Amino acid sequence: MAQVRVGFLVDTSRCIGCRSCQVACKAWNHMDADKTVEKGSYENPTDLTPNLYNRIRFLESADDRGDVKWLFMSERCVHCGDAGCMKVCPSPGALHRTKEGIVVYDKEKCISCKYCASACPFNIPRYGADDKATKCNLCFDRVGAGKLPACAQACPTQTLQFGGRDALIAKAKGAGKKLYGENALEGLGVVYALEEKPEVYGLPADPSIPTSIFLWKDVVRPLGILGFWGSVAAVVVHYVTYGGNRRLEEDGKGKGKGGDAHG
Amino acid sequence: MGKYVERFNTAERVLHWFVAASFLTLLLSGLGLYSRLFHGYFDLFGGGAGAIMAHKYAGAVFLISSLMLFLNHAKEMVTFDEDDRKWFRSLGGYLSKNPEHFNSGKFNAGQKGFGIFMGIATLLLGVTGIINWIPASFPRALVQFSLFLHGLLFVAVVMLMVVHVYLTTIGNPGTLEGMLYGNVRRIWARTHHPKWYKEVGGE
Repeated sequence: MAQVRVGFLVDTSRCIGCRSCQVACKAWNHMDADKTVEKGSYENPTDLTPNLYNRIRFLESADDRGDVKWLFMSERCVHCGDAGCMKVCPSPGALHRTKEGIVVYDKEKCISCKYCASACPFNIPRYGADDKATKCNLCFDRVGAGKLPACAQACPTQTLQFGGRDALIAKAKGAGKKLYGENALEGLGVVYALEEKPEVYGLPADPSIPTSIFLWKDVVRPLGILGFWGSVAAVVVHYVTYGGNRRLEEDGKGKGKGGDAHG
Repeated sequence: MGKYVERFNTAERVLHWFVAASFLTLLLSGLGLYSRLFHGYFDLFGGGAGAIMAHKYAGAVFLISSLMLFLNHAKEMVTFDEDDRKWFRSLGGYLSKNPEHFNSGKFNAGQKGFGIFMGIATLLLGVTGIINWIPASFPRALVQFSLFLHGLLFVAVVMLMVVHVYLTTIGNPGTLEGMLYGNVRRIWARTHHPKWYKEVGGE
């Protein structure tokens, strides 16, 4: 790619859980608030919704001594280099990649098959009342105009660092950070520097395209096309080689040694 | 004695063509969902959303009519006798220059196998189709497997359908008449299904 691939470096150790990113995202994308129920945590909402492209996941835990720890993680589409959603989307252009490497959806072209929601290794796309897929577009409109994504613009602690992906990774590695998503799925567009194991944050330890989705799209699909033409070829060959044997003879006897019968 | 003997009554034929028409609709509306290579087929239905809607309606018709077709003949389909085993051993004589004699009943062993497979495939395609239709109501891993299985069964059914259409038309002249007009020539019945021909009063 001639264009530099952009991305986020999310340094969770810097996050203070202020959720400015959530609010800025909603403001830029003109999305309504979701009505939520207080569940005894500052985490709100407790899941991504069709109106919520990013959110801060709050993880509260206590160790053996009763010391409480609070972890925060920015949950959103991570713009996989090898994106499950793009692999399964049957509508050309509904999910596509910009020249900066951002995975963008186009509501106008979405045909509501919901395949993307099932194929995503991170369970990110949501379907709204209009039955169309939604997810973080990484503010591709702002990025295209040389601006920061809304969430990164609003982040007061530099948890969300946006820029050229390679440069961000090099800088984080230089600072001794252990990274999540550098190479998985041909590199995530959102790379995390986590304080704990990925599983603690609800992230898959080794993210990959779900096996069934791989079998469906990379095995069944190509072999099926081969199989169809193979069966067509088989019957054509059969017809010109054995087909004549099976004609009915009007003298009341079938053709062939047995005299009167085939299958 | 007339030249023809009845093979499928009117109700059976209408049911079969319901299955065939819904199958064709499912095929055309599903191709674009199978691969982006075939997204041009969406245009037949006014776009992808239209194709999905047609796929759901045709799917309901196919599920019901194909299961009915199977159940109507289930008894004949699932019983295999020594003559059927003989048919399987020589692959119905289809790969022999000197066709053997097979004393088949109303359906030969290959037709029985096809019928049983279609019955099972219909049921599984229906179940996975419903899961794919409302994925939010099921665990993600199940939906993923269901998408895979639906695609796999589709491929198997399409390949068998190529063979089915061949064998019932140019592959075995005289066969199609039974499904078009309901009756077949006596020579056809005696040649392909002698045991059945005797049962319905042939010599």
